[in-house]
Amino acid sequence: MRLTIVAAALSGSALLAQRVPADPAAIEAGRQIYMGSCSGCHGATGEGSQGPSLLSGRASRLPDCALFNSIKNGLPGTSMPDFPLPDEKVWQIAAFVRSLTAPAASVPVPGDPVRGRSLFFGESGCSRCHMILGQGGFPGPDLSNIGAERTLHQLRESILKPSERISEGYRAAVATRKTGESVQGVAKSFNNYSIQIIDRAGEVHLLDRGDLSGVEIKAESLMPPLKNPEHATDLIAFLARQSARPSQGAAR
Amino acid sequence: MRAAALAAFAVPFAAVAQVTPEAIAKSPNADWLTYNGDYAARRHSPLTQITAANVNSLVAKWVFKVEGARKLEASPIVHDGLMYITNTNEIYALDARFGRQVWRYRAEGARGARVNRGAAILGDRVYFVTSDCHLIALHRKTGNLAFDVEYASFDRGYTTSIAPLAVRNLILVGVAGGGSGQRGFVAAIDGQTGKEAWRFWTVPAKGEPGWETWGGFPAEMGGAPTWTTGSYDAELDLVYWPTGNPWPDFYGGRRPGDNLYSDSVVALDARTGKLKWHFQFTPHDVWDWDANENPVLLDAVFRGKPRKLLVQANRNGFYYILDRVTGEFLHAKPFVRKLDWTSGLDDKGRPKVIPEKIPTPAGTRVCPSVRGAANWMSPSYDPATGLFYVVTLEQCDIIVASAKEPVPASGFRGTGNEGIPTEPGRFYLRALDVLSGDIRWEYPMPGPGIMWAGTVSTAGGVVFSGDDDGNLVALDARTGQDLWHFPTGHNLFASPVTYMAGGRQYVTILTESNVFTFGLFEPR
Repeated sequence: MRLTIVAAALSGSALLAQRVPADPAAIEAGRQIYMGSCSGCHGATGEGSQGPSLLSGRASRLPDCALFNSIKNGLPGTSMPDFPLPDEKVWQIAAFVRSLTAPAASVPVPGDPVRGRSLFFGESGCSRCHMILGQGGFPGPDLSNIGAERTLHQLRESILKPSERISEGYRAAVATRKTGESVQGVAKSFNNYSIQIIDRAGEVHLLDRGDLSGVEIKAESLMPPLKNPEHATDLIAFLARQSARPSQGAAR
Repeated sequence: MRAAALAAFAVPFAAVAQVTPEAIAKSPNADWLTYNGDYAARRHSPLTQITAANVNSLVAKWVFKVEGARKLEASPIVHDGLMYITNTNEIYALDARFGRQVWRYRAEGARGARVNRGAAILGDRVYFVTSDCHLIALHRKTGNLAFDVEYASFDRGYTTSIAPLAVRNLILVGVAGGGSGQRGFVAAIDGQTGKEAWRFWTVPAKGEPGWETWGGFPAEMGGAPTWTTGSYDAELDLVYWPTGNPWPDFYGGRRPGDNLYSDSVVALDARTGKLKWHFQFTPHDVWDWDANENPVLLDAVFRGKPRKLLVQANRNGFYYILDRVTGEFLHAKPFVRKLDWTSGLDDKGRPKVIPEKIPTPAGTRVCPSVRGAANWMSPSYDPATGLFYVVTLEQCDIIVASAKEPVPASGFRGTGNEGIPTEPGRFYLRALDVLSGDIRWEYPMPGPGIMWAGTVSTAGGVVFSGDDDGNLVALDARTGQDLWHFPTGHNLFASPVTYMAGGRQYVTILTESNVFTFGLFEPR
């Protein structure tokens, strides 16, 4: 009996010590199992359907060990069944689930980033309002580091449904001065006393509400939906690689 | 390496007015364009809207909370209505009139969590450093990233908290390391391309001049860090950078000699980084008396001769006057009463150390304390009063030394110091005669003895300073009389600045987590 407890404790501590693998091969292997066994309830990109979303909420916050246990043993009292696969395969599924909420720069991404780059600076028109390392325009969010700041899912959402979730500080605004002229751009901040706008030229307007006759904050994003959704995969492949610190930790 | 790839695309951002070196040389005016306001580190503003006569009607205009901040130490940069403040691994641009956030850049993935002392501005960009020694350049109006380059290896123990200094087309940065055994340096990075233009090592390599002052101790562990912002004389084209202590801090047995260029000020050619001269305040330091206090530049008639001077209130308790063209020592005088480690300085400014004040394993009582008679809290100099305003600390410590084998980045400092419970430290803001070091007046600052706040003086005849009890205080520049104070409710670890926005003069100081800005009361 005592031996069993020791053995269980040992296996528990070994499990605790193990971490979700982060290598692309494990993530890809996990994706394949996920598509066969998990996507029916959790959706192809973890967005949730019958089962909960894996992109937000409890599932995205589970420690590695608890994520492993939820997959392997299921969650009693819920419709999450057990998947009695070998541990290695369970860790691969966990790796894929983690990749859904990891920064896009750290996960394998399908698509052609070179074509994505030429679309970004050309046909798709992104660089008219967005900038990467000083190339491009204002006043959209700078995308130099976007692969480190957003998940793949968030990148996809932003490109295909730009008005669904507008980042704070990027709402379209028109402020009209009492003299009649107006200032258009994105409202970086606004309240009853002042409004701070950045326009398409990258100019900052720091305005006293007392000098204005009106302020209009728009519900729609300044960003139009992608004209050709077929371009999305390549654009995302390009944007996912935009990270200010790709060689993090490299010694001089 | 992204920096290299980046250089090929290095183009200025779309038409935005440039902040030129000439404009920086005219600061402070309505703007505050360097860490200390000007290149000379005088922290003296010509603004006169707020005066000794009306400062008692100063009121809080806005407070901005920096989410998650615990110890803000930055001195803001203000330009064209925008105020730039930094926290650990992040920078904010605020509307200087309303205190509203215009943009914020956080260096995702930066390692380490050092405090940060502020930004630099040049051209169409602002610059700041991260705890893991990256210099980040951003479009100053939008916060868009221009480059992120690593200039020292966090994996080798380097960290930093410095406010960079923009000189010519270069951004000058430094590193910490006096307490952990890294080799100090000043690096100049091209503000446009992110490429390193020059680097001056503060510990000479084997065979270089000065190496013989270390007794064979490895230069890589020597310390002499460069963690505070230097000064610049555009006419001489010399950068004056102060350096910190040799490592290990409290045990010097393995590094016999003067340990150049620790505890010094080095004068460097701004274009090449070549050493023009150096002056060492505390040779072979075993008390952790970094010389990182601001080197303040001024021109004056000294002993009947017009001279270009550099003055510094040093952590070792002496106020020094040097000739900044040649580095010649001209004068020194103690500015604290508690000073017992030396019987005085010789005619070259070299201290005569009292042997009993060398730390031992049993512990040695020494004054000033390890925190120093002065430290990085910025002083200011008002040419109209001829007074140098400096926050000073009267304190002694017990310092304990250990000959243990030193291991860099291990936390080992040659052991350490203990406070003396029956003799708590007391801060004083002192006004020194700039040409003699004589104390003209002093303002005691009772409190827990933990502040790092400095000063700003103004042509309105007011000196603003943080105190040790969390107050921003306004004193009469000529007499030290208390004119106004505001309790911020926080401890203070930053120096105040003053600027104009929308035609009005403001005074700002950062507290633990907030940016407080004051202006004159205006009836509706």
